[in-house]
Amino acid sequence: MKKTLVVAGFAALMSTTAIAENIGVSMALFDDNFLTVLRNGIQAHADENGIDVQIEDAQNDVAKQLDQINNFIASGVDAIVVNPVDTSATQAMSDAAAAAGVPLVYVNRQPINLDTLPDNQAFVASNEVDSGTLETIALCDNWAAEGKTEVNVYVMQGELSNQAAVQRTADIYDVIAAGNCKVTVNVIDQQTANWSRDQAQNLMTNWLSTNTPFDGVIANNDEMAIGAIQAMKAAGIDMASVQVGGVDATQDALAAMQAGDLDVTVFQNAAAQGSGSLNAAVALAKGEAVDQTVWIPFELVIPSNLDGYLSKN
Amino acid sequence: MSDSQFGLGGLKYDPKMKAKPPELNVFLALMIIVVTFEVLGRVIYGDSFLFNQRANVDAIFNWPRLNIIILQVSIIGIIALGVTQVIISGGIDLSSGSIVGATAMIVMSFAQTELVNGNPNPKAIFGPWAMDLPVIVPIMIGLLCGAIAGSINGILIAYTRIPPFIATLGMMVSARGLSKWWSNGNPVSFPTESFAALGKGMWPVVYFVGLAILFHLVLRYTVYGKHTYAIGSNEDAARMSGINVAKQKVMIYAIAGMLASIAAIVLSSKNLTAQAGMGVMYELDAIAMTVIGGVSLAGGRGSILGTVLGALIFGVIISGFTFLKLDAYYQEMVKGAIIVGAVVLDQWRQKSASART
Repeated sequence: MKKTLVVAGFAALMSTTAIAENIGVSMALFDDNFLTVLRNGIQAHADENGIDVQIEDAQNDVAKQLDQINNFIASGVDAIVVNPVDTSATQAMSDAAAAAGVPLVYVNRQPINLDTLPDNQAFVASNEVDSGTLETIALCDNWAAEGKTEVNVYVMQGELSNQAAVQRTADIYDVIAAGNCKVTVNVIDQQTANWSRDQAQNLMTNWLSTNTPFDGVIANNDEMAIGAIQAMKAAGIDMASVQVGGVDATQDALAAMQAGDLDVTVFQNAAAQGSGSLNAAVALAKGEAVDQTVWIPFELVIPSNLDGYLSKN
Repeated sequence: MSDSQFGLGGLKYDPKMKAKPPELNVFLALMIIVVTFEVLGRVIYGDSFLFNQRANVDAIFNWPRLNIIILQVSIIGIIALGVTQVIISGGIDLSSGSIVGATAMIVMSFAQTELVNGNPNPKAIFGPWAMDLPVIVPIMIGLLCGAIAGSINGILIAYTRIPPFIATLGMMVSARGLSKWWSNGNPVSFPTESFAALGKGMWPVVYFVGLAILFHLVLRYTVYGKHTYAIGSNEDAARMSGINVAKQKVMIYAIAGMLASIAAIVLSSKNLTAQAGMGVMYELDAIAMTVIGGVSLAGGRGSILGTVLGALIFGVIISGFTFLKLDAYYQEMVKGAIIVGAVVLDQWRQKSASART
């Protein structure tokens, strides 16, 4: 009799947790602008759908992130969403979750073991091959429209250890090599500004001090593009004479585009990635089948379609 | 002549035994690095690092490059002025980078403008009452933030007697937490024209040089300065000779905090934005500039002039590597080697100095 009561009690406990899914989320970094939009997207989607989420900050530390995942497993969450600090360190996370039978969803950054993910793990993101490609082709079109046939450009890279920085830079060269650019592009120099506006300002000013004529700046993200713009404006360069491209479509970038300074950016739908990853996690927790790779498309933003994006990121 | 009838012995003044100012070595190192870049540039690219090569400009030097060399280190340099005083007093300050982040977020929230391109500010933190405030409001709030954070450091160190490393480590973590919490990690952007003017162009350099001169004089000629050196040389002796060590320490850390908050105001104005991740690792760059400039981590020795030269070495390296089109990887490796090399040289110099006496 006592035993049945205990079992019934447990069953009751289990059923209450089954009503509201309990999802653990480990974000790579809280103080990153884009990841903040993504995190807010997860939180908003969870609030709307009555999902319990616990969001942790891995502070860009691979070891801390793995500890957080193990803590989630130990506290019995229904599923885990991970925004990996380092995309090459995901095997251990997959193994830990698989061993405990807890579903795991990677969001925004592509895990290195994507091809060998267990059935109850998935990946939701935007395909970085598209971001740099959209950006570069749009800039090429602008140069061609100005009547140029050959341009000299500077390339600003994000953090060199980051897959998006590497891919977005590779995209530029792929577009050129594949002949998808309407003009001939010569890269004068390529340097990292670590995604940062301040470092980009300094880097651009250093480049300007070499006095090489140039036609534009291709940056891996908007913050660096804005930094480059601020440096060029400080040096008295007419922003109509150069093309500047970024990625992210942040509010600051859209304001710069409205002011006529930024020419091209690419919108990455952080909120859709957040809600998509949460949906996948809930479905996996219920034992439903999901697509192992869900791509949320990148969207090109130029002055003509700018108004549609003002309230998005 | 040298045989005095009073038998001064070891106390006799000998000009040959007078140590050369340590700043001289730092200055020589700076010159060697500059010449290295000049030579490499001419050999590899046929271009000059320092001198103007353009026919259409009438100038001896390449002024844009000289400007950026100092501009890019001015903001961390301002922090380093405070760190110098802390290290001279025998302490350490790990919190300055996080104080920059937290102060920038708070300051920018009081410096926002209501309309951006005719639309309401999309990053507004407070209601209309905090929009388009006179520029003095965010400045005073910023200085207050820095003074409070620095005073907490100083009070913890002076009265609870916990090591400065631990007290400022705590502030480093807490202040970073505050900067993330302030707007849930969202950036704060779009300041008023008057606030944006503070960090425009070469103004950061003006603040850096002005504050450097001010604190050079303060450390050299005021009681505050003499007490700072005294505490760093021998804290017990300083206490015995009647210096209020606790009060002095609180002042030193409060001033360091205020200098970090000035850096935050200039940084957020220059970038037209404040972000929770601003100032990460600035404390280590500031400590590195200080150490390269010959300030001893053991306390009691060093100067503002040395730190300014240390900052210039940083700036020359950053610009030199971009000039040579070398990757950031090498930049960091060389930066690390220079930091360690500077301290090794300092140790040798100390040893040989003590061997002579």
